[in-house]
Amino acid sequence: MLGTASEAGSYERRAVLLWRYCLLAVLLCGWEAYGRFVDETWFSRPSLIFARIVTWAGDGLAVHVATTLAEMAGGLAIGVPLGTLLGLVLGRLPLLAGIVRPIILGLYSVPLVTLAPLFIFWFGLGLMPKIILVAIVTFFLLFFTTFSGAQTIDRDLIDNYRLLGATRAELVRKLIAPACLAWILSGMKIALPYSLIAAVVGEMLLARAGLGYLLMNASQQIDMTGMFAALFILMLVGVAVGESVNWVERRAMRWRVLSN
Amino acid sequence: MSSALITLDNIAKSFWRDDRAITALSPVSLSIQREEFVALVGPSGCGKSTILNMVAGLLQPTDGRLLYEGKVVGDLNRRVGYMTQKDTLLPWRTVTDNIGSPLELACHKTPKAEREERIRQMIELVGLKGFEKHYPGELSGGMRRRVALARMLIYDPETLLMDEPFGALDAQLKLVMHDEIQRIVGLGRKTVLFVTHDLGEAIALADRVVVFSSRPGRIKAVRAVDLPRPRDVFRIRFTPRFTELHEELWDELKDEVRKGTDA
Repeated sequence: MLGTASEAGSYERRAVLLWRYCLLAVLLCGWEAYGRFVDETWFSRPSLIFARIVTWAGDGLAVHVATTLAEMAGGLAIGVPLGTLLGLVLGRLPLLAGIVRPIILGLYSVPLVTLAPLFIFWFGLGLMPKIILVAIVTFFLLFFTTFSGAQTIDRDLIDNYRLLGATRAELVRKLIAPACLAWILSGMKIALPYSLIAAVVGEMLLARAGLGYLLMNASQQIDMTGMFAALFILMLVGVAVGESVNWVERRAMRWRVLSN
Repeated sequence: MSSALITLDNIAKSFWRDDRAITALSPVSLSIQREEFVALVGPSGCGKSTILNMVAGLLQPTDGRLLYEGKVVGDLNRRVGYMTQKDTLLPWRTVTDNIGSPLELACHKTPKAEREERIRQMIELVGLKGFEKHYPGELSGGMRRRVALARMLIYDPETLLMDEPFGALDAQLKLVMHDEIQRIVGLGRKTVLFVTHDLGEAIALADRVVVFSSRPGRIKAVRAVDLPRPRDVFRIRFTPRFTELHEELWDELKDEVRKGTDA
C-alpha cells in the first residue's frame, strides 16, 4: 500500500514538473515569436536577453552582482543585530516599550526607500549610502518581529522554568533566546528580500556599480534588452536569497516544520 | 496539625475581570501532612488549579495565609515540582532534552553521564522508549503529558503538584501511570497535591480526597481513604470499600457537577 502511495506521489510530482517546464517553454516561445514582429526599440525577446547576459558575464557582471550583495550583507550585518537586540529588550520591558514604541512606529511610517537621496548627500556615491539604507530597512523588520516574539513567550513556560530553579541568566539562555530564534528567522525571511529592494533602489538613484545601476544605465540608454537582462538577474538573485532562508529554516527549525 | 507541610489558612482568591471581582475561591482551610497524597476533586472552575498555583508561589492569595513548612509562601516555592494542566514543554527540544532540562540548571547540576542515565530511566518509566529524538510537536497529547511527568520527576522535588496529569490518557495507560505514580511517591516518600475530576482516580491514589463545590470554590467534604497500601490500582476498583467510598463521595460531588454544567 505504502509503495503504491509513494509511487503515485512521485508520479504526480514528475507530472507537475513536466507541465511546469512545458508551460515555461510555451511562454518563452510565444514571447520570442511576438518579439520578432514588433519594434525592437520598445521591446526585447528571450534570445537577445540571453545573449546580452552572456556578453555581460564576460564583462564585469560579477562585479555588479558582488556590489549589490556586498551592500545587502553590510546592511544586514548592522540592521539585523541592532533590530533583534532592541526588539528583545523592549519586548521584555513593557514600560520602556510603551514610551519608545510610538516613536519607532512614527519613524517606520516614512517609506524607508525615500530616505535614499538623503543618505546619498550624507555618505556619497559608494557603497555606504546603500548599506545604511539596507541597515535601516532590516533594522525595523527585525525589531518588529522579535518585539512581538519576545512579548508572546508564554507566561506559563517562563513560570515553569523559574519553578524548576532557573536563574534569570538561565531563563534568557535556555528559554527566551531559543524562543526568539524562531522569530528572528521569520524576521530574516522578510528582511532578506527587502534588503535586495533597498540596495537596488539606492543604486538606481545614484551609483557606479550594482544591479540597480545596471538597470538604470540600460534605461537611460533606452536599451530594452539591457533592462530585461538586468531584471532577469535581479530575479535570479531574489530567488537565491529566498531559497537560502528556506534552507536555513528547514535545518535550524526542524521542530517547527514538524509541528506545523 | 502543627507539623503540617502545607497549610491553607483561610485562603481566598478573587480575580478582576472587566472591573468586576470574580471570586474563584472562598476562604478555604486545609492542612497537608508530609508524605500525604491529597486529591482535590470538583467541577471545573472551582479553584483547584488556583490552589496549586498558590502553593507553587505563582499566585498570592487575596486573603488568608498559605504556609509551607510553617513559612508564608511569598515568592516562588522551589521545593515543589509542578505539572501544570497546560503544556509547558519546550517545542524546540527533543523528548530527551526536555526531560533532561531541569538537570542542566545550575541548582540541579548533574554530571553528564549521570544525567544521561537518569533520562534513560525516566524515559523507560513513562514508556516513551523509541521516542527519544522526537519533538513535542510530533507526539500525541498523552505522550506529551508523560514527558512533562518525567521532567518533573527527574529532579526529585519533595512535593509534587499535579494538575489533571492523566486527563488526556486513555483508560489503560492511565492505570499504568497510576501504578507508576503510586510506586514513585511511595519510594520517594513524597507529598502530593493532585487535582483531578476523575473521582475513581482520586480514590485509587489518594490518602485523602477533598471535594470542592462549584464556583466560588469551597471545601464541601473531606474523606480519608482507608484502603491499605500498597494498592493494586488495577483491581482496587472492584473492592467493596472502594465502591462505598466512591458512592459516598459521588453523592457530595454530583450536585456540584450539575451546578457546574448549568452555569
